[in-house]
This record gives sequence, structure tokens and C-alpha cells, in this order.
Amino acid sequence: MMNRIRKIFGSIWPEFYRQDDKHLGHYLTFTDYRKIWAIGILALVVTALVPLLVVTVIHYRLLQKSVDSELILRAERLTSNARRAVTFFLEERLNALRFTVNEIAYDQLTDTDHLAEILRNLKLGFGGLTDLSVIAHTGTQAAYAGPFNLEGRDYSNQRWFIECQKHHFYVSEIFRGYRDVPHIIIAIKSFRPDGAFFILRATLDTDRLIQTLASYETGAHAEIFLINRSGIVQTSSKHHGEIFQKMTLPVPSYSQRTHVAMAEDDLGESLIVGYAFISTQIADTPFILMVIKHKAGMMQVWQQLRSNINWFVGFAVLIILVVIILTCSYMVNLLYRADKSKAQTMALMEQSNQLATIGQLAAGVAHEINNPLALINETAGYVKDLFVLKEQYQRDDELIGYIDDVLDAVERCGTITRQLLGFARKFEVKIQKVKLNEVISDVLVFHNKEAAYRNIKVYVDVTEDMPPIETDRGKLQQILVNLVNNAFQAVDNGCILYIEASPDGADKVRITISDNGCGMPEENLPKIFEPFFTTKEGNQGTGLGLAITYGLVKKLHGEIAVKSKVQEGTTFTITLPIRIGEEII
Amino acid sequence: MCIVMKHYDLLIVDDEQRFANMLAKRLRLRGCHCDICYNGQQALDLIRRKSFFLILLDLHLPDIYGIEVLKQIKIISAMTPVIILTGHGTEKDRRICMQQGAYEFWNKPLAIDELMAILARIGEAAA
Repeated sequence: MMNRIRKIFGSIWPEFYRQDDKHLGHYLTFTDYRKIWAIGILALVVTALVPLLVVTVIHYRLLQKSVDSELILRAERLTSNARRAVTFFLEERLNALRFTVNEIAYDQLTDTDHLAEILRNLKLGFGGLTDLSVIAHTGTQAAYAGPFNLEGRDYSNQRWFIECQKHHFYVSEIFRGYRDVPHIIIAIKSFRPDGAFFILRATLDTDRLIQTLASYETGAHAEIFLINRSGIVQTSSKHHGEIFQKMTLPVPSYSQRTHVAMAEDDLGESLIVGYAFISTQIADTPFILMVIKHKAGMMQVWQQLRSNINWFVGFAVLIILVVIILTCSYMVNLLYRADKSKAQTMALMEQSNQLATIGQLAAGVAHEINNPLALINETAGYVKDLFVLKEQYQRDDELIGYIDDVLDAVERCGTITRQLLGFARKFEVKIQKVKLNEVISDVLVFHNKEAAYRNIKVYVDVTEDMPPIETDRGKLQQILVNLVNNAFQAVDNGCILYIEASPDGADKVRITISDNGCGMPEENLPKIFEPFFTTKEGNQGTGLGLAITYGLVKKLHGEIAVKSKVQEGTTFTITLPIRIGEEII
Repeated sequence: MCIVMKHYDLLIVDDEQRFANMLAKRLRLRGCHCDICYNGQQALDLIRRKSFFLILLDLHLPDIYGIEVLKQIKIISAMTPVIILTGHGTEKDRRICMQQGAYEFWNKPLAIDELMAILARIGEAAA
């Protein structure tokens, strides 16, 4: 199970990461595959992700800008419309008063019944008026029509009276007044036939104005209200101050036109603030129209879009990272495997070369040393013989001891050369009588398990009158193991393998190994005994197996041939001499 | 030192002259009669004229390869024991020489006591 998991995730945790190739050290072309892997991933990640992230950021900026300008445009339109409505509301009523004073004589105006009639008509025509009063130039009230009669009251010191006297028209701020109800006073100055002036004053109900403003409030995120020029809130606002309290935002500086700007409230929330100073054609007013939009609320759609984009980009980055890591691991692993198999072959070749060289060297040294050694041996032996024979030296143990030392040294050297020759002999062919059926069944023991597991049937047919042959048993075994291995790799499960042996003429035997596996194309046949030729994929084959087999067969003075047809199978035929010739190697 | 009482006639065939001479001297000290040949042809000529008790034969001779000399000796005088004494004997050489009827196959250097023991054994067998 673990192996399967490891195999599946082999590309993620690839071979090269284990660094178990220290023994191949200098045979590998590249030493640090982890570094190559890391650099590869880094380079790909940088080239793939940086443009993506830069484009995403640019896209955000553009989108933000266009959304902002769209929001400002809308706020501008809203502010401008609301301004027009408020201006029109006030202008309409001022004009109505002007019409009244121009049209109706002072005497009639001061007639209370007539004034009440006029008030009724004005209420019908325009609405929003609470009362009407006529104030004489002395400041005392001359006539009154409305619910709160304050007749005879002196207004000469009041601000509105002074202002109206000065400017002919007057529009007040919203205030509570004597009645404790928020209202606006508008007043107009006119002249009597005797030249003295009088003022027609009307009180406006603020409900109508508030209704008008409220009709422009679109959605929950916009607020429209009035303030006066010192920042006192005139019509109540939800977030920016109760009526007659100071507005929480700074008072905008004077401008004739409608303005919209970005701002932040004291909580740090982004706002779009539009304002306009209200001024009618007839009279200036103390009002500033404020339009305040909460950006966060307006941006909800955009936030949703941005969140979608974030998810998409995040997902894309993840996919790109996974693909890059997998691809890099796979490629570096391929490179590593190729390099490793090359390194292994080189190590193996170097080792066998070294062994062969040591063998040759050993034989050469032994040969060259043995002859002079023999001479030293005989000379020293002769000297010793002489000493032993001559009486005068017989008792000179010291001299005899020296000679024995020389002979001992020669003996030791002789032992060493014999050992060296023994080493060299490992590379020689050892000839013995071999029964082919025994060798074949020995070889098949190695393959029984695989054959049973893969349901491959192996038929062995060795002719009964098969003579034992003289050859090197180990090498013959190796040849057969290689060929059977080869066949096992070429056949599918359930295929059949035949091994036959029979005499070929008087002095040769023929061994055939045939399978009904996948076979080989004809153009490959001349090449299959070449070193490093392989059709196996990946690192399954070194391309040396059949080359070695060929070399071994030649060493045993035999011949090897191959026949194959694609989809029909392959047959290897080996011919070996029954008696190997005297000239071996 | 073992001195043989009989005067064995020995032939030493070796191209290493100093070695052959020295070995001959030692064997003479031990009571043997030694002839020396430095090449194969000379040795074969001598064997045709004279019979030897034992022949010590090197394989690497300048004219004829030792194994060929051995074959010829066996043709001329099949009963004469031949001991191969070589500086560098391979397993293959040993096998071939033993097949061709060599009595022993020794690598140099020679253990003279072993040779004397063999001489004594052959002498006893002959008697």
C-alpha cells in the first residue's frame, strides 16, 4: 500500500530528493539536483505568476477608478437635482409673496379677513404655508392670519426684520420660534402709497421641504439634508447630527456650483460628499444642501466582484503552482534517472575495467618476479649447500641464519606471486563436464516464482541421448539466465516459453529458447547484440544483457542467433561445442 | 641436506641460464648428474641420444613452446617423467600439461627438498 502511494506521489517526492547516490558522486553530470529543481520552480513561478499578479493589480486599480468616477457622477447628478428642487420650493413661495404684495393694496392686506382669504388661497395654490402676517415699518404687526395670533407684537429688533428692511427679501434658517415648531420665515418688503414700507411675512412648514428632500434619497446608503452656513443641521440626518446640532463633518467652503468630493467620517469610513449652496433668484438663503453617500454600501457589488476575482486568481495561482511543481519534479527526475543510469553504467564499466587491469597486472608482475626470484632462491640455496657441506662453516650458525633469512624472504615473495596468479585466474574459463538438463533446471529455479505468478508455462525438452558437454558451467548458466530473463520481459502473462536442447551433428549441441511474446521488428535484429542497444522503456534495460550474453557464448566457442516476428515471438538459438577446444580465451 | 646415493641423470631445460646452472650445481651437490639445455630443440636432440631419469622443463623457451616440447618428449621417451617448472603457469597451462602427461606442474621458485623427495619416490617405484 505504502509503495503504491509512494509510486503515485513519486513525482512529488521524486527520486533525486532522496540523495541516495553518494556512491555515484563523480560519475553524475550534475551534482545538486535539488538546486536545479528549486531554480527551475522559482524561474517558472516568477515568469508565470508575476504577470498574472501585475495584471490583476492593474485591473483592480482600473475598476476602482471607474467605480469611483461612476459614484461621483451619480452623486453629482443627485445633488444637482435636489438643489434644484429646494431652490424651486423656496423660489416658488417667495414669488407667491411678491405677487401678493404687488397685486393687493396695503389696506386690503391689513384687513384680517382678506388676509385670511389670501392665506387660504396660497395654501391651496402652493401648500406648506402656516401663517401670513403684515408688519408695519415700525416693526409692529399690522395684521395676522393663521393659527397663532400674535397681533400687536413688535419685531423691530428681530434679525429677520432688520435683514428684510435692508435687502427687501429674507429667507430665514429653520428655527423653533415662539411656538417650538421647526419652521422657516420668508419675508418681502413693499411700500405703501404714502411711501412708508411694510413687510409681508410668511411662515413655512418644514415638513413639505423635508418630504421633497426625502424623495431624492435613493437607497439606504444616501442621505440628503440641509445645514446652515455655520454647520448646524437644519433637517435631521441619521448619521451626521440631529436637528439644530453641529454637523459631524466639516462645513464645506463656499461655491456657486454643485461639488462632490471623497471624504472620511470620524470612524474612518469612506464617504462621497456632495454639497450645494442654495441661492434663489430673488434672495440668498442660509442653506447648504448636503448629499452624503456611504461608499462601503455602494461598493457591495464591486466587493462581490472583487472577491470573485480573488477566488479565481487564487485558484489559478494554486493550479499553476501545482502544475509547475509537478512538471519540474517530473523533468528533473527524468534527467536524474538518465544521469543516474549513465553513472551506474560508467561505474560498473570502470570497476570491471579496473578488475581486468588488476588481473593483467597481477599476472604480469607474477611472471616477471618469479624468474629472478627463482634465481635468488637457487643461488642462496647453493650458497647454503656449500656452507653446509664445508666443515668450517657448518658450525657458523650466524652465516647459515643469514642464508635462511634470504630463503625465507624468497619463500614469502613466492607466496605473494602465487596469490596474485590465483587472483588473475578468476578471469579464466573453468572447464568441466556439464549435463544440460541439470543446468537448465538450475536456471529455471530462479524463475519458478515469477512463472507461477504470471501464469507463464515453461516447457523443457532435452533429448535423452544428450551427451554431457565440456564447458564452463557458471558462464553457461549466466547465458541461460540472461536469455530466460529476456524472454520473461518480452512475453505477456499466460504466454508459453520453450527451452529445447538437442545434439547438432557429432560435436555440437543446440539450445533454443523460444517464446510466443511480442517479438521484435526485423530492423532491430542486427542490432540487438550491440552494447547499449535497448527497446525497453525507462531504466528497465541497460542494453548490456544481450551484449554480455553474446560475449559469453563466444568465450565458450559457441554461436548465438536470433529469429523474431512481431506479435509471433522470438527464438534464440545457441550452438556450443561438446568438447571445448584447447585454445580458450 | 638430503644426498641421494644413486646418480640420477637429470635434464634441466630452461632459457634462464643462470638459474639452470645454479639449480644444476645444487643438484650435483646432492649427488645427481645434470645436463642443461637452454632451448627446446637442443633438449629434444639430447633426449633422442640419451635417456634421463627425470626432466625439468620450462614452458617459456625461446624456440619451441614448452607444451610442444613436452608432447615431443612423450613421443620420444614416453616413460620419462617430466616436471614442468615455470615462472607463470596459468590454470589452462596446468590442465593441458597434465593432459599431456606431465608428472608435476610447479611454479617457480622451486622447493629443492620437494624435488629430492619426488626423485626418491620415483627411484623407489622403479626399483
